[in-house]
Amino acid sequence: MNVYQPFRVRIEERIDETADTRTLRLKFLDPDIAEKFDFKAGQFGEYSVFGAGECTFCIASSPTRKGYIECSFKTVGKVTSAMKDLEVGDVMGFRGPYGNAFPMEQMHGGNVVFIAGGIGLAPVRCVIWNVLDERNKFKDVTIVYGARSVADLVYKRELEDWGKRPDVKLWTTVDPGGETPDWKGQVGFVPAIVEKASPKADNSWAVICGPPVMIKYTLPVLKKLGFTEDRILTTLENRMKCGIGKCGRCNIGPVYVCKDGPVFTAAEMAKLPNEF
Amino acid sequence: MSTTTFIRTADLKGLVADFNAAGIGVAGPARTSDGAVDYQSITSFDAVVLDAQPRNSLKQFFLPPTEPLFKYARQGQDVAILEVPMSFPPRVLIGARPCDAAAVEVLDRVMNWDYKDEPWFARRDATTIVTFACPGGDRSCFCTAVGLAPDATRGSDLLLAPAGDGYVVEIVTPKGQKLVDAYAKRFATGAGVDATKAYRDTARASVEGHVPARPDVIRAWVETHFEDPFWAEISMRCHGCGGCAASCPTCHCFDIVDEPETLTEGVRRRNWDTCQTSLFTMHASGHNPRHDQCGRCRQRVNHKFAIYPARFNDILCTGCGRCARTCPAGQDVTEILTRIVAMATGQGGAA
Repeated sequence: MNVYQPFRVRIEERIDETADTRTLRLKFLDPDIAEKFDFKAGQFGEYSVFGAGECTFCIASSPTRKGYIECSFKTVGKVTSAMKDLEVGDVMGFRGPYGNAFPMEQMHGGNVVFIAGGIGLAPVRCVIWNVLDERNKFKDVTIVYGARSVADLVYKRELEDWGKRPDVKLWTTVDPGGETPDWKGQVGFVPAIVEKASPKADNSWAVICGPPVMIKYTLPVLKKLGFTEDRILTTLENRMKCGIGKCGRCNIGPVYVCKDGPVFTAAEMAKLPNEF
Repeated sequence: MSTTTFIRTADLKGLVADFNAAGIGVAGPARTSDGAVDYQSITSFDAVVLDAQPRNSLKQFFLPPTEPLFKYARQGQDVAILEVPMSFPPRVLIGARPCDAAAVEVLDRVMNWDYKDEPWFARRDATTIVTFACPGGDRSCFCTAVGLAPDATRGSDLLLAPAGDGYVVEIVTPKGQKLVDAYAKRFATGAGVDATKAYRDTARASVEGHVPARPDVIRAWVETHFEDPFWAEISMRCHGCGGCAASCPTCHCFDIVDEPETLTEGVRRRNWDTCQTSLFTMHASGHNPRHDQCGRCRQRVNHKFAIYPARFNDILCTGCGRCARTCPAGQDVTEILTRIVAMATGQGGAA
């Protein structure tokens, strides 16, 4: 078995998040691998549909929940279109886990602020699950999540659950014009809502993922709140093929996103050339 | 100095015949039907052409332009994965050029970076590289500027240099020693390395000075001039065809694609790819982090002379000059590097 050969995984469940976004729960066919497979929050993999090819996504479920992995994807290209056509019970391929991870141990004992936009909640959700499953190891948990419109919010069931928890401060928002008559969340762009939520920066970590423009305008807000660049974590998803540092595709300046990332601190990001 | 032996030209022919008889594949530089020289399969040493640089490099013998990674067969909802054999028949590459042999060893670094690339190393294990010291290069050659030389032994198992009626053989690796031991009757005592000095000196003189031998200066400048207008300027002549990468002995970027053969069966392949096309980095969303040819031209130079050295302490270029010879637009790496050194040392700026 060479390094490019995937494990076989079976689709156990598929959940439509939005009109074009779906979550798949995948279980390893080989019981031995199912038993041994482990990963860290933030790692990614190469998912494949045999006959269509491979695609790179983070693992959207948490390592604290064993026996399966989940991925969430938007139907935009060849492979994601093929993934959308798969049924429960169909077999896919998975290679991984690859890349680095969020520094969960370092984050123990701190407050965590999650900030996500659109499908950017997928990699963040892995960390949210991880934190909530080990809730006593963390202090305040704040989640700010925004999407273009109410219809574009992913993980709606979970947003509802998180919103009900007394130990989670949840802020959901949609862009102006994206609200529905019965929308009870915020209306406004994510950076503004982060400012409104105003999480304390002391002993805190921020985990942020979303469209580049959201990140660009949220970073100054976090800095104003007192977050330092080494405590702001994000995850990048460049186009990749091998996932293991060979195919030469994911360089940003000297960095290999697949090997040095996908998780970077804002301090590390600031050093990178503007090519992501 | 490594151990040396000697082989007469007649025995070299006999050696290739021995390989044929033993079922060992042989490849070397030989004329194509259109008169060019390519590394290709040969059955006789008479076919070997040593006085012209082959158009292709040795890369294809270890990283073929396209190769299967595995096969799949769908049955209902299930899929079977069928491994493709990762063992390869023994092969001798005879008549390799030092720049091409070195490239293979340079690539061992990335191919073994935490994850071992089995297809690469299975072919490496099965292959013995018999290099001939280069007779000298043309205006595009600059191996001495990247730490190599027309008689560099790097990546070679044996290095031959002409002397009298045969070749002085430097035994570079245990694999080379094994070949000499296995065919001991073909080797003899003869002239030593000293006898090849004039040949080596002539070759060296022909390639020196084409690019200043300042790889550290080039790296430092590239690492600190990401936004320099120089990149936009050199990119103006680039068509983005990727010919430079295809002909390059060290460009190793690849794509992984599925190729259905029937409705239910197919093969996952990896194919050569190049950072010179827009699709290389294009996200499915349409966002392209490397959105213009300026960034792509910069990436190629950056990867070779800064990223790879920083990561692996090795230059991802052996100075073969193929990219300059291949480019339909006359993009010349020797000019690019020479200008970088000039800018870095304060002796010139953007034209």
